[in-house]
Amino acid sequence: MIASFSALPTVFSIGLQRQLAYRWNYLLRALFSAMPLLVSWVFWGAVFEGKSTVGSYTLASLLTYYAVLLIVESVSSPADDDFQISREIREGTLNSILLRPLPYGLYRAALFLSGRCAYLVAAAIPVLLCFFLLSRVVPLELGSIDLARGIPAILGSALLQFSLTLCLSLTSFWLLDISALIFLVYSLEFLAGGHVFPLDLLPPVLFRFAQCLPFAYEYWFPTAALCGTLSPSAWLTGMAMQFGWALFFILVAQGMWKAGLRKYTAAGG
Amino acid sequence: MSSLFHLFRLWLIQLRYATTRELAFRANFFIWVIVELSWFVLQLAFVDVVYQHVDSIAGWSRPQMIVLVATNQLIQQIFTAFLMPGLVKLPESVRDGKLDFILLKPAPPQFLISTSHLEIGPLANALIAAVVVALALHDLHITPSLSTLLLYVVLILAGLLTHYALLLSLVSLTFWIVQAESVLLGYYSIFQVARLPREAATGWFRILFTFALPLLLVANIPASTLLRGFEPASLLLFLLTCLTAAIFASLFFQLGLRRYQSASS
Repeated sequence: MIASFSALPTVFSIGLQRQLAYRWNYLLRALFSAMPLLVSWVFWGAVFEGKSTVGSYTLASLLTYYAVLLIVESVSSPADDDFQISREIREGTLNSILLRPLPYGLYRAALFLSGRCAYLVAAAIPVLLCFFLLSRVVPLELGSIDLARGIPAILGSALLQFSLTLCLSLTSFWLLDISALIFLVYSLEFLAGGHVFPLDLLPPVLFRFAQCLPFAYEYWFPTAALCGTLSPSAWLTGMAMQFGWALFFILVAQGMWKAGLRKYTAAGG
Repeated sequence: MSSLFHLFRLWLIQLRYATTRELAFRANFFIWVIVELSWFVLQLAFVDVVYQHVDSIAGWSRPQMIVLVATNQLIQQIFTAFLMPGLVKLPESVRDGKLDFILLKPAPPQFLISTSHLEIGPLANALIAAVVVALALHDLHITPSLSTLLLYVVLILAGLLTHYALLLSLVSLTFWIVQAESVLLGYYSIFQVARLPREAATGWFRILFTFALPLLLVANIPASTLLRGFEPASLLLFLLTCLTAAIFASLFFQLGLRRYQSASS
């Protein structure tokens, strides 16, 4: 088992090299990821025309939310890990990984981590540039940033998103093409995760319902925690929900992996 | 003229072949209808949430905004059905050298790449978007005349050309960047601009997305035509900018194609 863990830095390093080989792809991805922030700035600017607040938000606090969301997404969202895992199962390249004395979940976690690091390197400049440009137009409320509560919530979000991705990808043992399933979950993550708008803009009943789902802890919760808009009790409850959901998906993934391997047929060399 | 007719016949053959291929996976058709529908519902839910807090955004009421969002969806879904599936396969074809097979065929490569695939599912969603437009117009007590409807169709075609120009330019980057899968993300990210009411944008943003990349016109001009009637200046501007964008995209693709080196044996 210890030998398995000692292999993880090597897997991480290989993953990092593989990701940085396509740095232009990453740079483009990072550049495009700043686009929703720009659109939000224009759209919400028009919404706030003649109004000082919408819900509990001012224009500055709302744009701070979207700007911080960009960072949360950069750190915690898997890139194409789901499609990679699906390909490994479908095309049988999983065979060579199964022969290695390394748990598959840990192997994928090391690759996920390397992917996030490579993305952060590529995204740092466009994201900082975006922050700089936006802060010249709107005074972002960066003074209220709460790192002590925000960082654990972002790490929890990464764990939750990774475990959910793992569950979705492992359905490839039973389904030929999982892209539709992945895009369906993406849409739920965007709407119920607080990606399109902060969830507290929803009517109270829907907001409470959204807080019961795992998606809220992928984007809305870590962003609100980092923005410093959560009360201590709300943060503690959120952390418990976030890690609870992450643990649930890890256990489901473990069960799916065992069941999937019984069904999996390794053919060819 | 005869070469245009030849291309049209070729397109029909490609469509027939692509339809047969699509119908082999009927379950896939229904699944993708649901997926695309969920994204449309997401956009409408967003509109609904925002209009719970305000009555008007940049002079657009809630039903007017629905006409705008649904028109954008209508254009996007038609594009997703006919042109997008072929274009998004270009990066992979360049990387594994399968573009060779297209280049060997006696027809323009840009045409073959653009029309090689078809997805039927998005057409069902385009129909749903059209119904949503009709319902929102009914809500506004607007009954468009036949000439307005015909103009709307022409403007939808111009919108398709704009989508095509942008995605062709983005996928053509693959001739310079080996792995260009992120261009699809770029396409979806940039086209969020098309859902914005044009009056909401000001300054450099409005200039950039009106004259250089006419995304603020794609859904705005057709929706405004339905809601407020014919505006000759806007119409001319839209047609001119979308044609320029299409010509530029085609030149960019040709430039990239010259860099292509076969990767197969």
